[in-house]
Amino acid sequence: MTQALLFKDIDEPNLADIAVYERRGGYEQLRKVLSMSQDAVLSELDASGLRGRGGAGFPAGRKASFLPKGDMDKYLVCNADESEPGTFKDRELMQKCPHALIEGIVIAARAGGINRAFIYIRGEYEEQAQILDRAIAQAYDAGYLGERILGSDVSVSLVLHRGAGAYICGEETGLLDSLEGKRGNPRLKPPFPAIEGLYGGPTLINNVETLMTMPQILRMGGNKYAELGVSGSSGTKIVSVSGHVQRPGNYEIELGIPSREIIYGLAGGPPPGRSVKLWFPGGSSAPVLTAEDLDVPYDFDSLAKAGSMLGSGAIIVVDDSTPVLDVALKTARFYRHESCGKCTPCREGTNWTVKMLERIEAGEATPMDLDIMASVQEQIIGNCLCVLGDAMAMPIGSMIAKFRGEFEKHMQRAQLTGASA
Amino acid sequence: MRLAVERWDPGEDQIEVQRAPEPGVAGGAYRAFGETLRGLKTTFARVIEGVHTIQYPEQKVAVYPRFRGRHKLHRFEDSDLEKCVGCSLCAAACPADCIRVVAAENTPELRISAGERYAAVYEINMSRCIFCGYCEVACPFDAITMGHDYELSDYNRGDLIFTKEMLLAEPLDQTPLRAQGE
Amino acid sequence: MPRPQPSEITFSIDGREVKAPEDMMLADAAKLGDIEIPVFCYEPKLGPPVGACRMCLVEIEGMPKLQTACSTAVKDGMVVHTRSERARVAQEAVVEFLLINHPLDCPVCDKGGECPLQDITFGWGGGKSRFIEPKRHFRKPLELSPLIAIDRERCILCYRCVRYSQEIPEDYQLVLLERGAESFVGTFDGHPYVAPFSGNIVELCPVGALTSRPYRFRARPWEIEDAGSICTLCPAQCNTRLTVRDERVLRVLDRNHPEVDDGWLCDKGRFAYQAMHVDERITSPMIRDGGVLREVGWDRALAEAVGALRRGGSATAALAGGGATNEEGLLLGRLLREVLGSSHLDSRDGEAVSLPHWRALANPKLAARVSDLEFAHAVLVLDCEPLDDMPILDLRLRKGARRNGVKLLIATERASALDSRADAAIRFAPGRGAELAWALAAALRGEPVDAAAQAAGIATDDLHALADALRDAGREIVILYGERVLDGDPGALLALADALGLAEQDGGGLLGVPAVANGRGLREAGVTPNAGPGLGLPALAGGHGAREIARRLASGELTALYLLQVDPVLHYSDAELWERALARATTVVAHASFLTPGLREHATVIFPAETSPEKEGTITHPDGRVQRLRVAAAHAGDVRAEWRVLAEIIERLGGAPTPPTARALSEALFEDVPFYGGLTLDGLAGRGLRWPELQVSNTLSDAYEEAEPKLRKPLRAAKGKLLVGTYRSIWAAPEVAASPALAFLTPRQRVELAAADAEALELRHDEAVVISDGEREVRARVVLRAAAPAGTAFLERELEEDGANVLRGPHVTIRTVASVEAEAAALIAAEEARAAAETETLAQAEAEQVT
Repeated sequence: MTQALLFKDIDEPNLADIAVYERRGGYEQLRKVLSMSQDAVLSELDASGLRGRGGAGFPAGRKASFLPKGDMDKYLVCNADESEPGTFKDRELMQKCPHALIEGIVIAARAGGINRAFIYIRGEYEEQAQILDRAIAQAYDAGYLGERILGSDVSVSLVLHRGAGAYICGEETGLLDSLEGKRGNPRLKPPFPAIEGLYGGPTLINNVETLMTMPQILRMGGNKYAELGVSGSSGTKIVSVSGHVQRPGNYEIELGIPSREIIYGLAGGPPPGRSVKLWFPGGSSAPVLTAEDLDVPYDFDSLAKAGSMLGSGAIIVVDDSTPVLDVALKTARFYRHESCGKCTPCREGTNWTVKMLERIEAGEATPMDLDIMASVQEQIIGNCLCVLGDAMAMPIGSMIAKFRGEFEKHMQRAQLTGASA
Repeated sequence: MRLAVERWDPGEDQIEVQRAPEPGVAGGAYRAFGETLRGLKTTFARVIEGVHTIQYPEQKVAVYPRFRGRHKLHRFEDSDLEKCVGCSLCAAACPADCIRVVAAENTPELRISAGERYAAVYEINMSRCIFCGYCEVACPFDAITMGHDYELSDYNRGDLIFTKEMLLAEPLDQTPLRAQGE
Repeated sequence: MPRPQPSEITFSIDGREVKAPEDMMLADAAKLGDIEIPVFCYEPKLGPPVGACRMCLVEIEGMPKLQTACSTAVKDGMVVHTRSERARVAQEAVVEFLLINHPLDCPVCDKGGECPLQDITFGWGGGKSRFIEPKRHFRKPLELSPLIAIDRERCILCYRCVRYSQEIPEDYQLVLLERGAESFVGTFDGHPYVAPFSGNIVELCPVGALTSRPYRFRARPWEIEDAGSICTLCPAQCNTRLTVRDERVLRVLDRNHPEVDDGWLCDKGRFAYQAMHVDERITSPMIRDGGVLREVGWDRALAEAVGALRRGGSATAALAGGGATNEEGLLLGRLLREVLGSSHLDSRDGEAVSLPHWRALANPKLAARVSDLEFAHAVLVLDCEPLDDMPILDLRLRKGARRNGVKLLIATERASALDSRADAAIRFAPGRGAELAWALAAALRGEPVDAAAQAAGIATDDLHALADALRDAGREIVILYGERVLDGDPGALLALADALGLAEQDGGGLLGVPAVANGRGLREAGVTPNAGPGLGLPALAGGHGAREIARRLASGELTALYLLQVDPVLHYSDAELWERALARATTVVAHASFLTPGLREHATVIFPAETSPEKEGTITHPDGRVQRLRVAAAHAGDVRAEWRVLAEIIERLGGAPTPPTARALSEALFEDVPFYGGLTLDGLAGRGLRWPELQVSNTLSDAYEEAEPKLRKPLRAAKGKLLVGTYRSIWAAPEVAASPALAFLTPRQRVELAAADAEALELRHDEAVVISDGEREVRARVVLRAAAPAGTAFLERELEEDGANVLRGPHVTIRTVASVEAEAAALIAAEEARAAAETETLAQAEAEQVT
């Protein structure tokens, strides 16, 4: 059921120290890539079929191959702004095994011919940032980072940058703006960051987990790694399970196992006497699924077919003790608060949705408002500059579609008791 | 070769023309007196109906409630502020181009209207107005309505330019209204 | 960077085949097929699109999602649907979203009637709102600056204004504050947005969120007339659109001319129209009667002027400036040369420049266009501050450097606003632009530079660095020079142009910034001492330049002076000499709008001058573009067309008759100036024509022989003294002081010092000081500027009070007002003490005598 690659040594005491990490076979893959050609590294990554672990699920090898060849400064940005509600995998990975991230960064840098790397970590992760600071210093001292790494002609500099805590800075172009010292607003794409990103240079942006998987791929060999999981979703994934389950936490799974096994098997399911009402399979931006969908295999394509997405691999379980309106309101308020305000549908749509949900809660709404709300979600989806608008509209839209009856019942009840509410 | 023309049937449209008697003695007499008498019949028939003349200006013709007479500008009844914000939409709607509005800004010390702006100058040139009522329709604040006054004559044209103060003031005497069904 | 030469492609939009340049943005290309795609945030003038408002979503075949037309470049064979069901639904959605927080107060909003949001809602909106919740509220209206009101409730957060502030004048003052639906526009530090180009955001705003305070509630779009005009407050001659109601100009908008202003205006041009309708403006003729100016009728004033000029005869001189048109210049030349028999007329400060020099400088091969500043390989800014002298070019230079990578090199005496954008900047000693040009030319030719560099007051290393930068930049180089660089030795600039081979380059050349708006046109119309109309040989030789005119007036050799929109005491250097000259002159006839110091004291007859909206005629842009002024508003008060006044005077003095209409007069001008041949008023239309581009233009011979450099002696530092440099602020104009809205910007004298100098002189920032050149004094406030070159104090010219024009330099001393007063008090005390002692001795002596 579980498959430990990233989590193999995760509970080793003091793994964050370079000596322990090296003793457990760390930095061996870094030595290996230094002697490999750039194309060889790329083809290993390509063969592994690794898809980005941050949310969008774009093939990592292909992304690295988009970077133009040439002598200009190229940038690698590790997106450690783990801000998707329900996601806490990168926190554990960085906290316990920071050197694997550094090793992964050098490998990815080699694959893209990159010489400057940044880790953009969210401001709330101060403890993890301090651990990374120490690890980066150790790696520099040991010669794994800096000019001419271990005597080779590969040079990678690495800088840790603390964000100031905005959800939108987890969006890759918003992250770049923030890293440049500007207000974190998403940029228009194209041009894509691979062509014109940080400081106008070609930029590769990867999630922490994606980068940390790279040493494992090189260790196993790309083809061997691809054998794990199912076709289209190879390898293992760390799933953060939270909400109404008895054993919330991070679990490393082989992609493609039934979702029920994660929620009930690993996380222990909801407390006794309660049942799953709905669950977010990939963070709060994913359309919700219900108890009927529990047998959907947990991989990219199956979840997409079920009308949702794997996203960042964060499962949030809501049991039958919670009204769906509360979930919707909580979700919508989060996105209203985090909308950057640059594009119209997201800025106004999130705001309007919250106002409508508040009216439903206060008993001042009619079923017609549900239609309006559903149509507002449709007006947002696909019309925004970045995906933040969609990230609210998709779960809210799915909740209205799947729990319309409950919303209507609430309206009736609230209208009766409404005056007091 | 001549084409045979089908005879056109006027159908319902056919009109019978009644002709006067052919010239002759009887016909001549009829022409001389007959028609005149027919006219006089109408005249004398009215004599018994009574007097229709109205003693204007002592007495005034009552108008229908929707009669479009001289314009009125309005104030809010509670705050006494002018309803007009000087938006000039009436001037834009006016087909006779007889309204001139110059707006100015309200200040905390001098508040004239409820909005940010007010009409510093509001003039209607009554000698050009065609009383179409478009200004009333255009007004977004119901600040201007068509009143019932129709006594709009003066000795020179300049006096026919009504200022804001004149339009805001209540008319000296009310034009009588027709009651329903009258 | 060379100009892009896009190829033409064909694409299909809503079923029409449309041809467009490749890579044009779809929102623009659609217009070529007469299809409008609604936009809010898109504005090509602001640089690359940002796709923020999402209004321009359209369906493109082959793309899964709707695309923003503002950021999609058209490609050959592209099939676009702007009114398909999907696109229509999305457009309606965006309009609905935008209106959620937009108050429906159109009747009180100044934008109502000319509002893109209104238009787009009408054209692309769903027609009804489903939003019934409360809208967001702000305190309103607030002053974003004394010129701009901000109404945050109306803001649709397209952030054009923020982008403008960051991308165009690059002042980074405007920012979006807060996030999401709570976002609002404000300044970064909370201070008012006061900047030389702030007014442009009013025009950029697609809703009524940013409105002009002077125009606030003045008129609605259906009550006004639009009149195309040209601003004549500076040589930039920006094309404007005037909003006229009841024969009063109420607003100035830009009339985008890519070859002149690029669609921007400075705040002086945008708001100084108010000076047209103020009480201070002279609107009827005046004569000096018993030492006092009083208003009289036209007949009386004309008779007075004609009589005085007849007496002056060939001892009459004339100066022209301001926004005087070419036609007025032509008539002034005729009046002086043909009627009065004098050739002493000029349109610029300083000594006369010789005719061969003028002809060489006007050579069409050396002429650069304004747009060349944006596409050249490099631009050398020589002895001028674009922001003050020709403000709109400041934006153009920033645009070139920012978007096209134009190398910006700066050689000025005073720190420039463009320094932060420049690739290299050097400072030379005040007034030594010509020496710098010689030094630079020598460095480029590989000749010895020491003597010239020393005279220019620059280090040879800096000079070589600048020369290398110029050489390495590329072939196309534009030199943007202030005309004062011609003062030392006009040959220097020509030598520099020759060293760079500018005559052989299409995209490069010279672009001169004259001191007055129509400086170039007046010169070409013959208002220059040694050239007639068209830079031909004058009808009368032996004319003197402005400086010599002053000397001869002061000595009594000349007796009468005709001033066309210029007051030499205010505008020219050495105000003291001019003061004496005007005092000595028996007759000073002036055309003026405001009573400036020289006129107030010395004018004998004043005719009211026209402002540009009242004028009819032509003016010439510094790049040779002849532009047409048309009457936009009726003359205020008793003002008459100035050309008619000149014509009347000529006629009364017995001169040849002047053509009866302004049109005929313009035609006469085109006949008299050979290189204007072929121009017609109709041909000029609304955009003007550059004569250097005309076929007939090459009537100026290329023959110019370079002479030996004339170098002045190096300026030496003197102990306890500073060199003095002067500059004219963008706000130094009577129109600014007279406009109620702009009056707060009226400059007051300030002395710019480097920190080191201030420390040595023990002066603090904002301290009141007296600056003296030994004879004359100016009061000022100390301003410390980090970029100020050490050893030089910079003072403002052309101020009504304490203008630096009175100082002769080159050295000045600076003392605090307090110390000067203390000294004076000490002197008085000493004097009193002496007097007291004297009395005492006298008393004692008396006492002794008594005893």
